[in-house]
Formats: sequence, structure tokens, C-alpha cells
Amino acid sequence: MTRDSHDVIVKTLARLLMPFIVVYALYVVMHGHYSPGGGFQGGVILAAGFVLLVITHGLEKTRKRMSEKIAGVISSIGVLIYGGIGVLCVILGGNYLDYGKLSKILLVTPAEARSLGILGIEIGVALAVMAVMCTVFFAIYTVGESPEDERSVK
Amino acid sequence: MTQFFLILGVGMCALVLLCLYRATYGPTVLNRAAGISAIGTKTLIILLLMGVIYHRIDMFIDISMVYALLNFIGCLVLAKYLERTGEV
Repeated sequence: MTRDSHDVIVKTLARLLMPFIVVYALYVVMHGHYSPGGGFQGGVILAAGFVLLVITHGLEKTRKRMSEKIAGVISSIGVLIYGGIGVLCVILGGNYLDYGKLSKILLVTPAEARSLGILGIEIGVALAVMAVMCTVFFAIYTVGESPEDERSVK
Repeated sequence: MTQFFLILGVGMCALVLLCLYRATYGPTVLNRAAGISAIGTKTLIILLLMGVIYHRIDMFIDISMVYALLNFIGCLVLAKYLERTGEV
């Protein structure tokens, strides 16, 4: 349904706020091992940005940027990054997610390789969580829509 | 100095109780929404005061920013829901 709204203030505010949300989410992901946060929390903040977009600019405009299909692909990529780094460590002769072994291919000391490995894992988790949160929100949001919106879902 | 911030925090908690009264017994649904939003804002300040008291302000400022963001988005979702169900 969503009647044609003229909520200029909310739309402008969302447009101004969106870049800061994304930057803040990236900060939370990158600083996961120094401050509160990490992959999951950063992904949730990214997904909150999409929730804000859906609420202010409508579902159709958001679907052009993040459809269910893209969300599925991104969540798979996130899991692939996580599992890929883990298996890579096994291939290089360590345990699963034993980041120290990554120093052989990253050409850095094992301590730095551990830091970079955890960063890679967190990026994977953030991507997966963001996509899954968006999928869940879209699924909840579209229930109870009018038939024309139902048709556009399919 | 910690004493000062503690007193400020207790005062903020008292204000939260006032907002909670409005959110519980508000005559209309809009009063309740405004009360909930004000509680969120005061919680943000209480979080920052806790950070000052525990000397971990760098940690608590992250949490409070996320809290402010989610409070804003939650308020918008509530408004959208009320618009959709036609309660306002």
C-alpha cells in the first residue's frame, strides 16, 4: 500500500545518514579486535542501513540496490570467505582457522598473519550477516502487502 | 569527579522513570512513541556516563553511537507501522 508520501525531512535525513552508517559499520568490523563489535555487529549495522532505506524510500527503490537474489549471493560469498580462509589454513599445514600458517602466502610474520586472518574472517561474517538480515527483513516486510506488491515479489 | 557523574546518572535514571510513565499511561499512541524515543536518548547519556565512571569511554562511545542509530531507526519503524495500520 504505502501511500505516496511527501516526508521530505525523513528522506533527506536518511540520505545524509546512510554514508555515515556504512562508514561506522566498516569501522566496527575493522576494529573488532580492539573495541566492542566485530563481524556480526558490523553486519547488523550495515543491514540497519538497508532497513532505513526500505522505510524511507520504499521497498522497490531498495530492491534495485539489494534484491533477494543479490542478498543470497552475498551471504554465500561471506560463508565462502570464512570457510575458504579456514580450509586454506588446513592446506598450508595447520588446524582449521589457524591463521598463523597464512604467513607463508601473505609474506608477513605469523603475528601479522593472525591479525589479517581475523580481519578476513570478520569481513566474511559481516557480509553473510548483512545479507541474511536483509533477507529476513524483506521477508517480514513483504508479508501483508497488497496484491500488486505480492506480484512484484515473484 | 566520579561522584558528580554518579549523581548525574542517578538523575538521568529518575528522568527515565518519568518518560516511562508517559510511555505506559500515555493517552494516545503518539505519546507512547515519544516516551520510548526519549528513554532511548537518556539511555545513550547514561551509557556515556557509565563509560566515564569506568574509565572506558572509548568503548562506551561506540556502543552509544550504535544505540542512537538503532533508536532512530526503531522510532522510524514504529512510525511507519502506525501509519500503515492507520492508528494515527
